Amino acid sequence: MNEQQLIEAAQNGDRKALAELVKMYEQTVYNFSFKLCRNRERAEHTMQETFLSMVKNLHQFSGQSKLSTWLYRVVANHCLMLARSENRYGFSSFDDDETYIDEKEIAEWKVTPDKITENNELKLILDESIQKLAPEYRVIFMLRDVEGLSTEETARLLDLTVPAVKSRLHRARAFLRNELSERFAHELK
Amino acid sequence: MNSNKISCKEVMYHICDNLGEDLESPRCIEIKTHLENCENCQHFFQNIELTIQFYKKYNVDLPKDAHNRLIDFLGLNDCIDKK
Repeated sequence: MNEQQLIEAAQNGDRKALAELVKMYEQTVYNFSFKLCRNRERAEHTMQETFLSMVKNLHQFSGQSKLSTWLYRVVANHCLMLARSENRYGFSSFDDDETYIDEKEIAEWKVTPDKITENNELKLILDESIQKLAPEYRVIFMLRDVEGLSTEETARLLDLTVPAVKSRLHRARAFLRNELSERFAHELK
Repeated sequence: MNSNKISCKEVMYHICDNLGEDLESPRCIEIKTHLENCENCQHFFQNIELTIQFYKKYNVDLPKDAHNRLIDFLGLNDCIDKK
């Protein structure tokens, strides 16, 4: 059965079809949850809550959007809620755009993402940097740049305007570049 | 038409549009021309592209035990082929 047939079967009470849909999306949902939460325990919790929501609400799914988009929305809302309730790092404010733009001298980075899977030091830097980014900006960076959704899809998914998505995306990119630039200059050879 | 020379700051502000948006507007063409001649902006652009690549390539696999706990949590144990 293809995805549409699985959804229809699951909506009609076929539990095996439901299990197939879970298997189809569990890796994607877990990975995206981790990318937003930056913590395996919270990612697993978010994944469980996301699929519980799917099981409970699948009968309302009309097929107007992709199931993956629907799941992204649930993950995003859950992670945003968790992040707001646990502001461990103190998110950076974006009151002053100039903070993130240094026109004097910008160095070319010598590090490359090729061996990211083997480099725990780099992973830690990436985790710490993005955890300083306010969740409302982090989720846009992840959906638009990392997961590859369009600006319009991202706006619809988060109930934002397209200009709001573009503005936050610009700030998120500039903030992360700034954070990584400081760390790469001092900590990585 | 704006005759002022485009500044690095403007390039940086609009750089997001250079990474996946419509590049054919007069402003974007002006930005691209500036980029070709400004080392600072080229570095900034390279930094942003690498930032995106770093986070794209940093993925995690779902552990088998987390999969098992999920199926258990949803009460779908009897629907999963254990082979």
